[in-house]
Amino acid sequence: MNHFALTIIGRDHPGIVARVTKVLFDLGCNIADSSCTILGGQFAMILIISHPRFVSKESFGTAFDPIEKDGLSVFIRTLKPGGEAAPYLQGELCLISVYGSDKPGIVYPVVKELGDRQINITDLNTKLVGSPENPVYVMLIEAILPPDIPIEQIDEVMAELKGKLQVDITVRDITPVEL
Amino acid sequence: MAVREILCYPDPILKMVCKPVAELDQACDTLVQDLLDTMIESGHSVGVAAPQIGVSRRVVVVDVSNSKLGRENNHGQLVMINPEILEQSGQKIMREGCMSVPDYTGNVTRAEDILVQFLDRQGDLQVIRATGFEAVAIQHEMDHLDGLLFLDRVSSLKTDLFRRKKR
Repeated sequence: MNHFALTIIGRDHPGIVARVTKVLFDLGCNIADSSCTILGGQFAMILIISHPRFVSKESFGTAFDPIEKDGLSVFIRTLKPGGEAAPYLQGELCLISVYGSDKPGIVYPVVKELGDRQINITDLNTKLVGSPENPVYVMLIEAILPPDIPIEQIDEVMAELKGKLQVDITVRDITPVEL
Repeated sequence: MAVREILCYPDPILKMVCKPVAELDQACDTLVQDLLDTMIESGHSVGVAAPQIGVSRRVVVVDVSNSKLGRENNHGQLVMINPEILEQSGQKIMREGCMSVPDYTGNVTRAEDILVQFLDRQGDLQVIRATGFEAVAIQHEMDHLDGLLFLDRVSSLKTDLFRRKKR
């Protein structure tokens, strides 16, 4: 079974999900994984889909043309075998909350510290909240700490950044509890 | 004495409302022992509910005393027959996983503090106040008795943090 990554983005309005999934349903595609959300004023859909016979993006033909005519951008990428399965990563899950008055240069310094230590980010969301006079930037990072990096070490690194960037940062363990 | 297999969704018994235990007979005691054996055998588990081993009766066992989160604050090994929550307060979000729903975890908001009434293994009525992780574990296991899985209670990280005010 071949897998594809399908990305669709466009000005948000009701009915986008229904239109897109109708196309997929009519083609006989499976939706294996998906994440759809509003970013700014745009509705952004990322889906991992599969089809028993499709081999390349040409297989989809003109199926998405009506959606593109409607002002949505459609992008299809053919995944290599295994590209649909999540890698198994060992380690503690942690959530890093970063927030402060909005200004340029909050995201990169924080994620650089993680990248430098080969810490895998599994989820990242940012949002501008607060009032127009006092915009507050919020970033939430979910990351897996490799077994040799204790959470205290990240806590220290973030405490130092907190002063430098003049934002608040907290680090907490969110390893799931098995019940 | 038997370690039983943990049933996984979509086994229909997990979505059924369990019947109360009418009499603390030998069958009930065997069920309690099987639940304890299964919980202990699985090593990482802090609780098992009767429907998870295929018995649709209102019995759960909980023991958070060996886990990092519950070590400081617990009632040891709890056998709870026909449990009922009398009072609840506070909110606590934990990322939960369940042996009956492998490979998936989600954030669940539950009461931080509960007053719970139940019959113990000897049939004596007990009332305890549980807090923190133990309270979460008891609520998770008791949900199984009403055919609820944590999947019935998840909300996303984003929704939790950014949309709470609107709820």
